[in-house]
Amino acid sequence: MKIRIRREYVLSLVAVLLGLIAGAILMLAIGSNPLKGYLYLFQGGLMSIKRIGNTLATATPLILTGLSVAFAFRTGLFNIGAAGQMLMGGFAATGLALTLETVLPRPLVLLCTILGGTLAGALWGLIPGLLKARFNVNEVVATIMMNWIAFWTVNDGIPAYVRDPNQETQSRGISAVASLKADWLTSLFPGSYINLGLFLAILAALLVAFLLDKTTLGYELKAVGFNRNAAEYAGIKVNRGVVLSMMIAGALAGLAGVVFYTGYATNMQIGVTPSQGFDGIAVSLLGANAPAGAVVAALFFGVLQSGKGFMNAMTDIPPDIADTIIATVIYFAATSVLMERIWSAWRRKRSAKGAAAPAAAGKEAPPPASPDAPAAPKGGA
Amino acid sequence: MTARKTLFILFAVLLTVAMLAGCTGGGAKFKVGMVTDAGTIDDKSFNQGTWEGVKAAATKLGLEYKYLKPSGTTEADYLKEIGNLYDAGFKMIVCPGFKFSSAIYAAQTQYKDAKFVLIDASPSSADGKTTKVETNTVSIFFAEHESGFVAGVATALQLQTGEVGFIGGMEIPPVQKFNWGFQQGIKYANDNLGTAITMKAENFVYQGTFSDVAAGQQLAAAMYDKGVDAIFAAAGGVGVGAINEAKARAVKGEQVWIVGVDVDQYADGIWDEAKTKSIILTSAMKGITKAASDMINLESQGKFPGGQTLTFDAKNDGVGIPATNPNLTADVSSKVAKVFADLKAGKIVVSAEQGSLFK
Amino acid sequence: MEAFAEPIVEMRNIRKEFPGIVANDDVTFTLRKGEVHALLGENGAGKSTLMSILFGLYQPERGTILVRGKEVRITDPNVANALGIGMVHQHFKLVHNFTVTENIILGRETRRLGVVVDTAAASRRIRSLSERYGLNVDPDARIEDISVGMQQRVEILKMLYRDAEVLIFDEPTSVLTPQEIHELMKIMRGLIAEGKSILLISHKLKEIKEIADRCTVLRRGRVVGTVDVAATTEARMAEMMVGREVSFTVAKGPASPGDVVLRIEGLDVMSTRKVLGLKGFSIEVRAGEIVGIAGIDGNGQAELVEAVTGMRRAEAGRILLKDRDITHDPVRQRIREGMAHIPEDRHKHGLVLDYTIEDNMILERYDQEPFSKNGLLHRPEIRRYAQGIVDSFDVRAGEGVDSLARSLSGGNQQKAIVGREIELDPDLLVAVQPTRGLDVGAIEYIHKRLVEQRDSGKAVLLVSLELDEVLSVSDRIAVLNHGDLIGIVDAAATNENEIGLMMTGVRKGEVA
Repeated sequence: MKIRIRREYVLSLVAVLLGLIAGAILMLAIGSNPLKGYLYLFQGGLMSIKRIGNTLATATPLILTGLSVAFAFRTGLFNIGAAGQMLMGGFAATGLALTLETVLPRPLVLLCTILGGTLAGALWGLIPGLLKARFNVNEVVATIMMNWIAFWTVNDGIPAYVRDPNQETQSRGISAVASLKADWLTSLFPGSYINLGLFLAILAALLVAFLLDKTTLGYELKAVGFNRNAAEYAGIKVNRGVVLSMMIAGALAGLAGVVFYTGYATNMQIGVTPSQGFDGIAVSLLGANAPAGAVVAALFFGVLQSGKGFMNAMTDIPPDIADTIIATVIYFAATSVLMERIWSAWRRKRSAKGAAAPAAAGKEAPPPASPDAPAAPKGGA
Repeated sequence: MTARKTLFILFAVLLTVAMLAGCTGGGAKFKVGMVTDAGTIDDKSFNQGTWEGVKAAATKLGLEYKYLKPSGTTEADYLKEIGNLYDAGFKMIVCPGFKFSSAIYAAQTQYKDAKFVLIDASPSSADGKTTKVETNTVSIFFAEHESGFVAGVATALQLQTGEVGFIGGMEIPPVQKFNWGFQQGIKYANDNLGTAITMKAENFVYQGTFSDVAAGQQLAAAMYDKGVDAIFAAAGGVGVGAINEAKARAVKGEQVWIVGVDVDQYADGIWDEAKTKSIILTSAMKGITKAASDMINLESQGKFPGGQTLTFDAKNDGVGIPATNPNLTADVSSKVAKVFADLKAGKIVVSAEQGSLFK
Repeated sequence: MEAFAEPIVEMRNIRKEFPGIVANDDVTFTLRKGEVHALLGENGAGKSTLMSILFGLYQPERGTILVRGKEVRITDPNVANALGIGMVHQHFKLVHNFTVTENIILGRETRRLGVVVDTAAASRRIRSLSERYGLNVDPDARIEDISVGMQQRVEILKMLYRDAEVLIFDEPTSVLTPQEIHELMKIMRGLIAEGKSILLISHKLKEIKEIADRCTVLRRGRVVGTVDVAATTEARMAEMMVGREVSFTVAKGPASPGDVVLRIEGLDVMSTRKVLGLKGFSIEVRAGEIVGIAGIDGNGQAELVEAVTGMRRAEAGRILLKDRDITHDPVRQRIREGMAHIPEDRHKHGLVLDYTIEDNMILERYDQEPFSKNGLLHRPEIRRYAQGIVDSFDVRAGEGVDSLARSLSGGNQQKAIVGREIELDPDLLVAVQPTRGLDVGAIEYIHKRLVEQRDSGKAVLLVSLELDEVLSVSDRIAVLNHGDLIGIVDAAATNENEIGLMMTGVRKGEVA
């Protein structure tokens, strides 16, 4: 078990390295110095307390959407709807914040916005979950549809209920009472956008890890994810698992909406689908679908995204190339499975040539205990 | 390897040219930066228009210039890029779009020794309670209604009879003013210049985004099917969809038109192999490029109008239709020029309010 | 037999290693032209690895391969095909919504004008091949519409279509009914008569005895010996394979049935094809007896098992466990009431392959104390429990209870499942094909365990397609045909012929 996870992390690291190398080649191709480029990229994300604060703030919603996607993945579901769940979470939180900020004391306002937003996200995950459980509607399709429903709900809801008097396309600004930004935290990272959301995200990661590894619910959900038939055979309520799993994934993305719209942002704009929703898929992949992995991957993405602008400002690398570099890293992360295959194929060839026997076992190689069934995984896959 | 070498040489040449240009221009040297709004630098609209102004002025003055693309559209995203530019020594920063309003509000006090140009908005605090243009900031607005008016007159005169429609992006003041001005232009031509153009409320719609190309195409298709001859598309990416639909119909032999927005979109509407025909009748332009380059020129002369809110309108040639319109007859062009002169002289007044117009 | 025919394939001193294990160690054997040569060995003995090397799926570390006397390097299956070597895999590699013809020509499409796939010509050729070898395959049928036995013939046709001279059959009978096995033997004889040579991988002595000329026995990657089948007894071959003497008969005393544990009354169950797959089925299973269900695959066994275990709805009738109506109880409830189930497909239902053995051992009882409390798993208890099963059921795994279920051999996976189910201490044990695909040693072991259960007063419902198994393990045998219960007979008072007839739908006493 331990060995397996470590292996996946190694793959992720290799993916990141390859992505960085590919990015370096891109930089060379446009005549820039990759060493300088990466120096500025990482300086941009980390060279001052303020920038570190901003990197953490950028990573915060990514941790949560990454967790959302990873959790669904672990239970055999593909949550493409993190963006919509985030929008609904943000919408509920913004609405509650703007309504309650003048009425209740700060701790209660925060509690309400956090819970309200999380619930709204859970609801947005519940619907595709129910559709899947009841009518076997593919959750990929359903969650994409829910993204659009969320988009238009926010589009009409913000102007109708909480619009900025000067600007039709955004909500009123959230005051300090309801914002997740806290003075003591901001003063630790002066001038940055760091906020209490970071702690919520880390707490959520711990909770998800706990849920998956230590509870009977996690045991059930993972069993459903790995093998629906076996779960059914053992009397696990598979449909309940699907619904719960989508709800939890939705809740995590909803919380991402809360921290993004009432922590990082100052108000909610309409007409914008949060990119964090989709970046969550990459975070999850890079983090090997594990909670700790998602946190690390999100931090890495945070560095890239906050450092990107400084790299652009200091070098002649155009912003679109910077985006390409980041996309390349994501691409390599997403195809780490493919790389694993290439790796083991290469190993097979080597062993065929009679070269030194390799040490590590690849997935393609037969399990040690049953050398008699080497063709079985191929036929059964 | 050779490709790299070529690139390298090209790059070196460019650098040398830039340096030589730098030597010839007099006056104060400073670096000009721009932060893009949502969308790409080549959006054929706001970002591109601003960037062209920055490029033109900076090249002429021999200044270093650069744009950055924020990773999102929140105040934090914008401020981060402003901070990046500032840290890299760019002390004049141009930001196009109303979404920059609170970011500039924060930046103008945070970076006192930098100059900010905010297009289409005035700096205001995040909670919307305070609006203030600091002495290091210029806030620029446009009289979109006047631009829409002139385009409306031109459309009516060229078509003489028929029906027109409007597709907007988001329902925000600049887009609304384009719409209302356009309607007033059509009415003015019907009342004073003998045209007979009809307008129906159902054909004046806002799609809700500036990005949904497919939706723009569908909306345009529906309108053309209902008999609309020309659509004024003030909708960014949604407008691109409308243009695509018009081009597809033109190829099939239908006679349909789009009225472009913000910049001269004629080239985007070309649909034939020979590149001689475009479905862009004319464009309701907004002098974004001019505004951006004007501000840079003024700064280089030490005359940056800090603290002011400027409006670009017909009077200072800040709005209008393109100088050349291949799809308008000479007669129409001259008539439109006369109307534009009247507008300049104040003989015609275009309202910036909805009044009795379609929404 | 042409005993002195020239060798067509020779494998000399083959060595193949996998991390941590030597799968083939200095293996040498010869296939002569026109013979059926069996490769006999337990699961894990290295038979499949050896054949995978011959078929180009693996490269040996050492050794040489000669085809028709010439040394060759078989780097991939295409090379093998070109040399006239074809393989019928244990798991068929067919596209289910393609026709027979489309499957056979897949990757070998003859094209008209370079674009249009010429299926008509291919179809004609397949038809004539099918007739020549007596395969009776309709080239235009879709794979999903034909039986497993027929699908296997499609695989054979695929090799013939590619002009294979040497045909490798990997455990070909494991998926077939007794009738289909019989048919396959006939086909194999036909192939030999047409000058083909056959390599048969198997661990079933009976069929080797029936069809093979010579037999090479492998044990732990090494050749134990090559024998002339006609001159060797089954017992001798089994001994060579296992390394000790093996008993073929299941040792058990007479049953002493007690109270009725499972009572089924007039059970109707829909099949997946939305027709009644089981019609008005009634039976009683008592404590201390093993009731076997015999029948050709697809005659209502799956419907019966799924209805009893709660995985499929009963349309009509009642199921009673210890006099309690459980017809509409969910799966988990039935388990709690004292039912255990060794499922037919250990990969699909029996195990979560990506869970460790430890996690798999609590699949049905993770939510019970002491394995969890208040929704929290209690790892030390789980580990102790899993370790107990692994020890007492001799489940061998590289990393013990921490091994992924996927990494275990089939026999060990099955032992783990059997152990898990028996540890539930059920009143009723439903065992479906409990020895499917296992070797002689493992079969012997599992049969012993089933009888043990009976002797300790449990009721056992055994569903198997292996007639031998049903006959030797059960006390009473119920025979199914087309979803109807044909009859229930006493195992001691019947024989293979009688049951075989009943399986075809002939009721007892109807025979003249």
